[in-house]
Amino acid sequence: MHNRQALTRAVVSACLLLVSLASMAVDTLPKGLLVLDGREAPPLVLNDLDGERWDISEARGRWLFVHFWASWCGPCRKEMPTIQAIFPKFDASQLEIVLVNTAESEDVVFTFLAEVAPDLTPLVDADGSVTEQWQPRGLPSTFFVDPEGRLQYLALGGRPWDTTEYLRFLQRLVR
Amino acid sequence: MIKQLMTGTLGSLPILAALFLTPCHAQQAPRPVPSGPWYEDDAVFIRIVQRTPEQLNAFYQGREFNQAAIDQILGTCFVTPIIHNKRFDVLWLELDNWQFSRGAQQIPRIERDYWPGKWEQSGLSQAHRSTFGWTLMPEVRDLRLDESVGGSVVIPLQSHPFTLTMNFHSGADKQGPLKTIVFKDLECIIDKP
Repeated sequence: MHNRQALTRAVVSACLLLVSLASMAVDTLPKGLLVLDGREAPPLVLNDLDGERWDISEARGRWLFVHFWASWCGPCRKEMPTIQAIFPKFDASQLEIVLVNTAESEDVVFTFLAEVAPDLTPLVDADGSVTEQWQPRGLPSTFFVDPEGRLQYLALGGRPWDTTEYLRFLQRLVR
Repeated sequence: MIKQLMTGTLGSLPILAALFLTPCHAQQAPRPVPSGPWYEDDAVFIRIVQRTPEQLNAFYQGREFNQAAIDQILGTCFVTPIIHNKRFDVLWLELDNWQFSRGAQQIPRIERDYWPGKWEQSGLSQAHRSTFGWTLMPEVRDLRLDESVGGSVVIPLQSHPFTLTMNFHSGADKQGPLKTIVFKDLECIIDKP
């Protein structure tokens, strides 16, 4: 009898441990994401390819996926289709994808995106000065800005955003 | 622009010609057998991308750099490593801890502050200066676990093979093991007739 109770306790404990580990896994950041210190995001006021002005100070109340890239950068080219793939999965009022092209001409940007990410309209940092202010660790880099305008996470390099691990992270942000 | 054989501290590996765009931040992905000099152990993966002057010329022309600026670039030798930190919580990329040498002779690096004067002379736009800056290897980077970095390190053109010794501190406080990788018999590539 005692043996059976001990066994039951052991099984229940094991189950609780598994549930706990699974829960921890959900809360764990995917590979390549750094937690930032929550400082205020730098200014970001740029025109997009259609000439529309976008200002980060007017984008409070939603998470921002601020992605710096250039078409000459190999990992950027590889990553961009995964951003295109997640674009329709999120309501921009909850998670807005903000692409910032670094220092390329509008023709180059348009030609590249028309092929690999036709639904995305990037901001154009024509002389690269806004990118310099944000100080990404390289190109590509993605910052996550919370609804209060603070820097919360940084993705190191290109990430496969359309895979389960990263989608789960993005879904957790907007939950 | 660099050519020829790499030797890590743990051995030599064969080479094939390399040709692709330089990442500033290499993507994590299943790794094909690298072309060009490379080194790998359980802690780091490093490869060196080689481009000929013709390829560099095409790359910068494609980015609409003016020819005077491209000529400045072609007057130097680009060494373009890509480094992946596989094991350390922090691996310190610090270019001041790298040495280019031939025998006992040190080869000085051409540092970032060399370029603004050249761009003034050649009338290069701010956008192009920014692009060029992003193609250079950062001077210092606390490479996190599973992070990669790539970029060009520039030296004066060399007519003979040279050695690149890379020293990396490890650990957030730099108190971990010092990692040293040596690439021997590198050369500045010249276009074949």
